[in-house]
Amino acid sequence: MTIHEIANGVRLVSVETEKFKTCCVNFTIATPLDGNISAKAILPYLLHRRCKKYPDFSAFNGVLDELYGASISAGVMKKGEILLLNFSLTAIDDRFALGDDKVTAQCVELLTDLVFDPIVDDGAFPADIVEEEKRLLIEKLEAEKNDKRRYALMRCEEIMFANEAYGRHRYGTVESIKELTGKDIYAEWKNLLKTATMQITMAGSASPDFVKSILKKRFSRIKRDVVPCETEFLPGYPKPNYVCETQNVKQGKLVMGFRTGMRNSEDNLEAMRVAVDIFGGGTYSKLFSIVREKMSLCYYCSAALNSNKGIVMLQSGIENENEEKAKNEILNQLKEVASGNFSDDDFSASIKSMCDAVLSYNDTPEAICAWYSSLFLKENPESPEDRIEKIRKVDKSQVIRAAKTIMLDTVFMLRGSGEGEDDEN
Amino acid sequence: MKIEEIRSEQLGESFYDIDHPSGLKILVMPKKDYSGAYAIFATKYGSIDNALPQEDGSYKIIPEGTAHFLEHKLFESEDLDAFERFAKTGASANAYTSFGRTGYLFSCTGNFKKNLEILLDFVQHPYFTQQTVEKEQGIIGQEIMMYKDAPDWECTFNVLRALYHKHPVKVDIAGSCESIAEITADLLYECYNSFYDLGNMVLSIAGNVNVDDVIEVADRVIEKKANGSLIKRMPIDEPKEIVTDYIEEKLPVSAPQFILGFKENHENPECSTKEEIAMDMLLDIIAGRSSALYKRLLDMKLINTTFDFEYFTGFGYSCILFSGESADPKAACEEIKKEIAFFKENGIDEKVFSRTRKKLYGRMIMGLNDVDELANNMALSYFADETIFTDFDVYKEITAQYLEELLSGTLLNEYSALAVILPQEG
Repeated sequence: MTIHEIANGVRLVSVETEKFKTCCVNFTIATPLDGNISAKAILPYLLHRRCKKYPDFSAFNGVLDELYGASISAGVMKKGEILLLNFSLTAIDDRFALGDDKVTAQCVELLTDLVFDPIVDDGAFPADIVEEEKRLLIEKLEAEKNDKRRYALMRCEEIMFANEAYGRHRYGTVESIKELTGKDIYAEWKNLLKTATMQITMAGSASPDFVKSILKKRFSRIKRDVVPCETEFLPGYPKPNYVCETQNVKQGKLVMGFRTGMRNSEDNLEAMRVAVDIFGGGTYSKLFSIVREKMSLCYYCSAALNSNKGIVMLQSGIENENEEKAKNEILNQLKEVASGNFSDDDFSASIKSMCDAVLSYNDTPEAICAWYSSLFLKENPESPEDRIEKIRKVDKSQVIRAAKTIMLDTVFMLRGSGEGEDDEN
Repeated sequence: MKIEEIRSEQLGESFYDIDHPSGLKILVMPKKDYSGAYAIFATKYGSIDNALPQEDGSYKIIPEGTAHFLEHKLFESEDLDAFERFAKTGASANAYTSFGRTGYLFSCTGNFKKNLEILLDFVQHPYFTQQTVEKEQGIIGQEIMMYKDAPDWECTFNVLRALYHKHPVKVDIAGSCESIAEITADLLYECYNSFYDLGNMVLSIAGNVNVDDVIEVADRVIEKKANGSLIKRMPIDEPKEIVTDYIEEKLPVSAPQFILGFKENHENPECSTKEEIAMDMLLDIIAGRSSALYKRLLDMKLINTTFDFEYFTGFGYSCILFSGESADPKAACEEIKKEIAFFKENGIDEKVFSRTRKKLYGRMIMGLNDVDELANNMALSYFADETIFTDFDVYKEITAQYLEELLSGTLLNEYSALAVILPQEG
């Protein structure tokens, strides 16, 4: 892995390898989760479908077809209180092109055309494009509630972080999307080129040199003034929040949000990873092996650490009448971990499984890019091998100490009303 | 033991095709510089196989959802279940049942031989009792209900129910609460003994492994011998006609969802690889991201970016499915049908054809990267009597004219049905 400085707050991270038949390039733009979030969030979608050189949507996709079906996708993510706008390119490696096509170089050119050279009409993005993208983003946002598992998680986060930036949806709201104008979005684009922290991450056989020169040229015309990104870490509330909703679904969803007491994204990180994994990670975890398998209290039940915000979100599918029992048993299992009531086998199963999962990041270009893109704020990003070293150093007493600091903050229950079973009023 | 290296010079890739003395087919693609490996032990037995072959050549009909039920139960044994055994090695293990097969798999970056041993061992040792079967009926019953909350899943089976009178593809892979209630421990053993015969299975592995290790473990752990070869499926007498051309349901969704399906009728129960690849190209030309139709549907606000299409085909069934979210599903379908008629009349542009072929080639290359995809595709190709390199030869034979011939006999309006999920009030 090599790191190349492109401009102030912009770097290229490259993993050169001939292991794969494809090459992957991520372009990540990081900005604080504040201000007009919708104007930021709509950008990657708006930019990735067309550019000045290929203004026609169909013709642009035709160009991708000609490039052996290369794909460029856009995405928006929250990482703590940072909004990540992402473009991801996958193309076949030059070694497999028929003839002398320089696929990677052409694709990277195209990707930078999208980011730096959009269609602009008198200081604004054209109205027809903006209206279409607004409709698509609104429908994307509204469709999230179709997946009840996701919906319940989203609602729990909304409630738990009502007073923090993290509580805002990564797309903003339907209303704030509706209000967007081509001028706002254009201004936001200009602003991000100047202020956002950016990382371009690539994995494949191509040399980073040409990508570096393309990028340097693009940034040479931009006067950079980077705005730092920070996340607030709060302790848990002594009295947990509880909210319940009812919908016409067959299976209930129970989501529980915890605060870990981490003071920043690295605070006691590895021990916390292991503690949460033993609590609700793999099949050996307390939640899977006891709450699900042994006690049959739920159909699925797992917990995941979000170290960027110092929280643990637990998701589970249950029957309405099992809510209290499941909640109590889940909290009881957390107590068990915090009291050191887990076997050496469980502990070593957790370490092994986590290391296995981390190492497998080496095996696809997309995973390699995702790994290093997620470490964009670290001056010296760790490799999967480095992470494993750290995980293996964690001992049982550290896990117990970490588990003791995990506090319940918010419970959200989506109850199923199941058709025909409604109480008669 | 016959070990053959199958090479593709064009791709610089090869795998080993092994006829193990037990009668099991083993396929291994070593990838030296990878960190991990992926192995799948699969049987050609899926949800559509609701007919159990008998010795006299006849078939016994079994309850819907039995293959999936068996998959769930096989993870259990008398002492430690498979998950617990894999937990000791750090591997991540799983299983799935699809329409045409059941697979047990693991991926790992260490302890490969131990993991392979566990996989081969637990799949060979069924343990079913009436008590555990009854417990599972409750669990799977809940799983079936959970899927009823998933609008895309529900919509898929609605369109299949609209297209198919008899074919079991129209039934949820897990069956129904009623059908699985009929399953007994004895029946599971009966199905196991037939469908899990080593001759009906394949072990497929890709990643950081070597052939000698695989053979050494297989020699040691495989106890059984195959009784036969791949099982012959019972032909299904499915009428040409569809059941109904429209079906709708209400669920808590944000906007209407639709699937437009076109039923096909083939002489052979399974279509050829050439037909399958050609159909993928044809659909991409008609409705892909660079098509005029896609752009028009977007401009008319009749679809969003969830719009997709699929050639959905297997033993005894084949249909084309267009799916998406739309404020007006019927209007979207009219546009799709109009575009199909346009292509039938005007043929396929050579330039578009060659561009699409290039894309197809690229996508096939992309499919040879990940160890899980490689191992799964090797298994799938074996069940189809091919290798993973077959596609690279076949796609070269396809011409624009071939696509036009194909198009003239398919995507017929009289065999089409629309399934819609409408938002529920309140």
